[in-house]
Amino acid sequence: MKQALSERAVTERPMIEVIGLGHTYESRGVASRALEDIALTVQAGRFTVIVGPSGCGKSSLLMMMAGLRRQTEGTILVDGRPMLDPDPDRVGVVFQDANLFPWLSAIDNVAFPLMLRGLGRSERLDRASAMLELVGLGHAGARYPSELSGGMKQRVSIARGLVQDPPVLLMDEPFAALDEQTRMTMGEELLRIWSQTSKTVVFVTHSLSEAVYLADEVLVMSAHPGRIIDRIEVELPRPRTYEMMATATFGQLRDRIWRQIRSPQPGNPA
Amino acid sequence: MSPSAIRWLIGGILLVLWEVLPRAGLVPQLFLPALSQTIAVAIADWRIFAEALAVTLSEAAVALVFACGGGILAGALLGSVARLRGLLLPVVSSLYAVPLVVLYPVFTAWFGIGAQSKIAFASLYGFFPTLLGTAAGIQTIDAQLLVTARSMGATLSQRLRHVVLPAAIPTVIASLRLGGALVIVGVVVSEMLTSSAGIGYLITSYRTVLDSPRVYVGILLVLLLGVLLDLGMRLLEHAATRHRPSAVPRRAAPAI
Ligand SMILES: Nc1ncnc2c1ncn2[C@@H]1O[C@H](COP(=O)(O)OP(=O)(O)OP(=O)(O)O)[C@@H](O)[C@H]1O
Ligand SMILES: [Mg+2]
Repeated sequence: MKQALSERAVTERPMIEVIGLGHTYESRGVASRALEDIALTVQAGRFTVIVGPSGCGKSSLLMMMAGLRRQTEGTILVDGRPMLDPDPDRVGVVFQDANLFPWLSAIDNVAFPLMLRGLGRSERLDRASAMLELVGLGHAGARYPSELSGGMKQRVSIARGLVQDPPVLLMDEPFAALDEQTRMTMGEELLRIWSQTSKTVVFVTHSLSEAVYLADEVLVMSAHPGRIIDRIEVELPRPRTYEMMATATFGQLRDRIWRQIRSPQPGNPA
Repeated sequence: MSPSAIRWLIGGILLVLWEVLPRAGLVPQLFLPALSQTIAVAIADWRIFAEALAVTLSEAAVALVFACGGGILAGALLGSVARLRGLLLPVVSSLYAVPLVVLYPVFTAWFGIGAQSKIAFASLYGFFPTLLGTAAGIQTIDAQLLVTARSMGATLSQRLRHVVLPAAIPTVIASLRLGGALVIVGVVVSEMLTSSAGIGYLITSYRTVLDSPRVYVGILLVLLLGVLLDLGMRLLEHAATRHRPSAVPRRAAPAI
């Protein structure tokens, strides 16, 4: 097993295991193969990024890891147990759109998962405000989603994904709707939160720079059907800095991913 | 001048014209009795009008419960069960386009000319728009919010209570507003057609004896009823949607 150069003490314990996973969608009698022969292991505390062309099945795979969609073949183990239904104790999810409930204030949005579990109001609000503090929005708890910027909404959404303290955080293009500057700051923030909370993160993005900047490991997928065609260990030291993006290593890694995505795959004529 | 100042000004001018035109003989008193004369008969006969108003109000209140309660229940069912919707929505939509007033003679045959037939007719009249509005409101709920709730482990009943219900409230209230207005229309129209009590009945009977001032008092009372109901619904709507910039809060409409 290759050792990450990460400063963090990564205990070699598989947190997510995907074994022989395949998926066929069927709509109106037409079957289409979305995922083929997916196998991957994410060690506890690692930051894994998935990239790949549009429609290659990244979101589908994430939905399956979250227990929101059932794969047609194969097994997904999170923390050693199969993921058959959503389980907020093990997995938190952050989507591309913040998906905040517009009728709830920021703090009530963050406390929503706790409310579902029947926690008392004062404990809910305590934990929710600690999470808002963590994402740098301690002052904005009383605001409603319509009064927050896009970046702030996504921070609230991240706080909500973390509030039940699951060991795993799944993020599907969480910053795709943000402008480039906000996106950079959110990336930094996310790495800070990650290093403070020691979560296992699986993060989907279309941005190659973002992938290299964030990841311990980048998984590259191809489409039709979706497969993992490359795994790239990002051996840049942490904490990651903006300056690293100008280094030769960073550029080489990004080029390697780009060549993989662009190259014609079997069954996918260019 | 602000729009509301302009509205008040127009209202004031109309009231003045209402007084001046008949007095000056520019409009026959039979068509439009002067405002002061109308107010005078309203005060003189206040007991008669109050009794009629009480009848109309009580019928409208009962019909409102039937129309809105039934409309919301049926709309929620149709909105959330796709199979049922496919089966029934086309029927309901085309029924909505039928002038239901043709059914009123049938209702009087079934329920007599008392309060029941008017309540039944007005309930039906307000039922369809409430149903259609509620069904549409439930269908337009952002599916992503439901997926998000599911990812947090929300059960079906939790999703209904904590996501579907609050998300549908603005549309439901908007359809209540329409349904409520139609209930008033239904009650008054049925009173005017066949009845022995209520504001609608008074308007018709005064009209047959060409008592214009009292006809106008009746009309004013119906207007008042409609405006008050609308105001109440608007307050409700405002209270329920304080925090939403628009009915579709997720993406702002582009400025054109
Ligand atoms: N519910 C569904 N029913 C049928 N086909 C689906 C469904 N969801 C996704 N697909 C198909 O599965 C494939 C993978 O979709 P998915 O959304 O997982 O891709 P993605 O990699 O997330 O794409 P993007 O980068 O554009 O978000 C696509 O070809 C898509 O059309
Ligand atoms: Mg996707």
